[in-house]
Amino acid sequence: MTEPLLVVRGLSKHFASGNETVSVVEALSFTLGQGQSLALTGRSGSGKSTLLNLLCGLELPDAGTIALRDQVFDADGATARRKAAGWSALRRRHIGVVFQEANLMPALTLLDNVRLRAQLAGRDPANSEDWLTRLDIGELARRYPDQVSGGQRQRAALAMVFAMEPALILADEPTGSLDRHTADEVTRVLFDLQARHGCGLILATHDAELAAGCQQHLDLGHQSDV
Amino acid sequence: MNGSLSRLLPPYPSLFMPKALLSHYRRHPLQLLALAVMILLATMLWTGVSHLTSQARVSLAQSESAVAERQQVVRDDGQALAVEDFVSLRLAGVCVMPWLEVTPEESGNRLVGIDPLAAHCFGADASQAVDQPLDGKPFVDVHFAAGTRARESRLYLLVSDTTKAAELPPDYDLTTFSASPDTGELGASFLLNLEALGVLVLLITALLLRSVYLLGLAQRRDSFALLQRFGVSPMQVQGWLVLEILVLALVCVVPGVWLGRWLAAALGSGFGQALDGLFDIPLYAGQGQGWLTPVLVMLAVVVIACLGDLLLRRFRGRLSLPLPVRAGLAAVLLAVGLVMGWLAPSLLWVFIAVALVFAGAGWLTPAAVVQLAHWRANHSKAPLALWRYRELAVLVRRLTLPLVALQFALAMVLAVQALVTTFESTFDRWLAQRLEAAYYIEVPAGANSPQATEWLTSQQARVTGLQWHRVIRGSAQLAAAGDAREQSVDVFALTPVSSLIRGWTLLEAADRPWEALAAGEGIMINEQLARREKVAVGDRLQLILGDQPRALSVLGVYPDYGRPVGEVLLNGETLPDTFNIRFESLSVTPGEPGIAPITDALEKVWGVQTVALRDNDTVRALATGVFDQTFALTRAMTLLTLTLAASALLMMGWVFFSTRAWYFRLLVVWGLPQREAAAQLLRLALLLTGGIAALALPLGIWLTWVLVHRINPLAFGWSLPMAVYPAFWLELALLSLVIGLSIAALMRRQLGKPAIAPLSANALTGGER
Repeated sequence: MTEPLLVVRGLSKHFASGNETVSVVEALSFTLGQGQSLALTGRSGSGKSTLLNLLCGLELPDAGTIALRDQVFDADGATARRKAAGWSALRRRHIGVVFQEANLMPALTLLDNVRLRAQLAGRDPANSEDWLTRLDIGELARRYPDQVSGGQRQRAALAMVFAMEPALILADEPTGSLDRHTADEVTRVLFDLQARHGCGLILATHDAELAAGCQQHLDLGHQSDV
Repeated sequence: MNGSLSRLLPPYPSLFMPKALLSHYRRHPLQLLALAVMILLATMLWTGVSHLTSQARVSLAQSESAVAERQQVVRDDGQALAVEDFVSLRLAGVCVMPWLEVTPEESGNRLVGIDPLAAHCFGADASQAVDQPLDGKPFVDVHFAAGTRARESRLYLLVSDTTKAAELPPDYDLTTFSASPDTGELGASFLLNLEALGVLVLLITALLLRSVYLLGLAQRRDSFALLQRFGVSPMQVQGWLVLEILVLALVCVVPGVWLGRWLAAALGSGFGQALDGLFDIPLYAGQGQGWLTPVLVMLAVVVIACLGDLLLRRFRGRLSLPLPVRAGLAAVLLAVGLVMGWLAPSLLWVFIAVALVFAGAGWLTPAAVVQLAHWRANHSKAPLALWRYRELAVLVRRLTLPLVALQFALAMVLAVQALVTTFESTFDRWLAQRLEAAYYIEVPAGANSPQATEWLTSQQARVTGLQWHRVIRGSAQLAAAGDAREQSVDVFALTPVSSLIRGWTLLEAADRPWEALAAGEGIMINEQLARREKVAVGDRLQLILGDQPRALSVLGVYPDYGRPVGEVLLNGETLPDTFNIRFESLSVTPGEPGIAPITDALEKVWGVQTVALRDNDTVRALATGVFDQTFALTRAMTLLTLTLAASALLMMGWVFFSTRAWYFRLLVVWGLPQREAAAQLLRLALLLTGGIAALALPLGIWLTWVLVHRINPLAFGWSLPMAVYPAFWLELALLSLVIGLSIAALMRRQLGKPAIAPLSANALTGGER
């Protein structure tokens, strides 16, 4: 195995539902190596999105440890404010997140969206147009999100993620709203760039074919160590 | 599909539509509440203002026609009139109307007893005027006033202006009747401005109503589309919407009108006291608008504001113009309105100019802010700043109506505040001018006033602080140069030109004007006369005093605050012997010993039992007190309108920001700390409300200028001084920032929620750019 990028140990997350406590993620442990990809599968409500939120610090775990590169986040460690600040810095520079929809600011052109993401990550926004060109939407750079197709929007979202040169990409059903053909194209671009840039990829999906493209597989219906 | 549709339909198909439509409000009860409260408050505010104004206006007209002919009969021997005098005058064939002023023992409120049957003395108009039921104090039937246990009472016998002194029996003479100082048009001017305020309140509340309703309508668009798929025609949906809003309006308008009338009654007591106590304008009970008019007007306003363009959908295509064309058209409207406001020859044109400027500003402001935001965005190097300005443009477009309403409300509050404050200071100066001395003493008809002045002169050196002058009132004829017409002006001849009046503010003056007046070197004239005759300081005015034509140099022009009659102020020693004295009085500030030694001495000098004395301090205190209350209430009403506009913007801003909340969370997902995302939100909200306050400022100043410099002179021939109050601008700026802070604070709570991505684009309603 390559050098570990992400190490998760004993991760748990519970939600209150009325008087009951629902365990969404329970004592989960896994490791993702540098440049590797992991598919998260499981039926709706199995905790895929929650796990992604935990892995990028948008939600904090009840128990367990997450180590990304040289930073370790322990559920029992620092105050929530300090943890939030630490996660913000990580997301800003090293974690790219792609959702099924609404990844772009509607008031900005595709190019300005990429520039904004690159600026937040501390990268040079001047390369933003190149990223759009590499994703075959260079000619659409000055269009707004509502002026392009769903597939083109997802390509722009990927351009934003790659423009920040992330260490880890978290993708939550990134092709869920696309037709088969467009979804295949977006998937191809995603895997291609991920492999070329050597970043880690965690992909939450219902799509077995898409999951098969990943090097590792974690079925949240049967949570266990990977 | 059919099967599932039939399951959707209730057993009574006719209830399907209302149930489907009302389901929106079942899901959004606060929206329904906001709409209802908005209609209720709009109705209350407008009804309150217009009811009060129309009530006061009717009272003003009635009062003027009832007592406009201010001529009274007095006894030559200076004794008070009694019933016997009324009888002997009637027996002599003189048509006199008794006017019995009574101060009841149990309450200090003055009553005026008049005889409606004697109203024919004043012609048909007056009889109509007193045909009103005498159920509103202070006017009561003379029989009632005579039967009241009185602390003080005084009978006046009024005759029409056409009555000549020669028609009176011996021992009687004519003099002017004035129960209190005449305000000229000061009251009417204030009423006109109140009316303008009412129209603006209606406009602002209509805009707010429309914004809340359109928000709901936008959210219901999907439901309407679904209904159309189920076979309900758009016309049917529109019909139900009209019915829905009519029912809601009816439910809210009726209590709104009731509340408005209650508000007017509450304000009316203060206003009525002010008019009655000071201007001699009683506020009759039971006057003003009925119920039907305000209910119908508000129903029409609600339906037009909410559904106007929906009902005129066929014209919408023609009316919807591209943004640059709209902005250009708005700029043209604004420019035309501004020029017209400057040059308008009549009130109607000024009002049209105000409408044009408001329409232009209301149309141009959002477009201008959007363009400015885009310009700033295009010149921003930092992508985050670019995003912020683009978001601002979206916000302004989505919140156009509440923002314009807030702009109008802020402008209106600025103008009303400036106007009311100006009125207050004008009123203070007017009071100071009219009530310059501590006491006002009427010289009884036939009394020897030179003897009184001799006595007062003898006291001048002995009594510390004694100041006084004698005022002789009469008329002079004005012969305009090169014009055969003659015009009567009121003459106020002062002997001596005492220090009591030397504090008057003069609009225009020669060097050392009071000294020149005291030396008999010229005259002073009021603003009306100066404007009408286009006379300035240094010009000579041709006057016929008594039977002597004189060319008198104008030494100064003093403000008259709307008294429509031309006035000339001169030194009494320059009056010719042939001058016909109509009325004489003494203005006295008695100094340390008080007024009692002076009245005692004057009673001896004139040989009368009592002298008619008015305590100006009491009048001033009463007038100031009641007017303060009226001004405070006017301010309160404008602030209520502002609060309404601010609440609407707050509510709309919150709702709209909620639809954009995801994009702020997206920034957090991208690694922007939540604190910084909240700071972006705050900057955006403050830019929005602060920008609107900044744009309201020129509109408010312009409106103030129009009210004091255009409407007042055109309506009444005199202008209020234009004053601006930067401290109040600051207050409004702070208020707008508080609204921005409140929106940001409400939104901050939403940012604090876990950042879960929307499941699909349909979950977002704010994806506009």
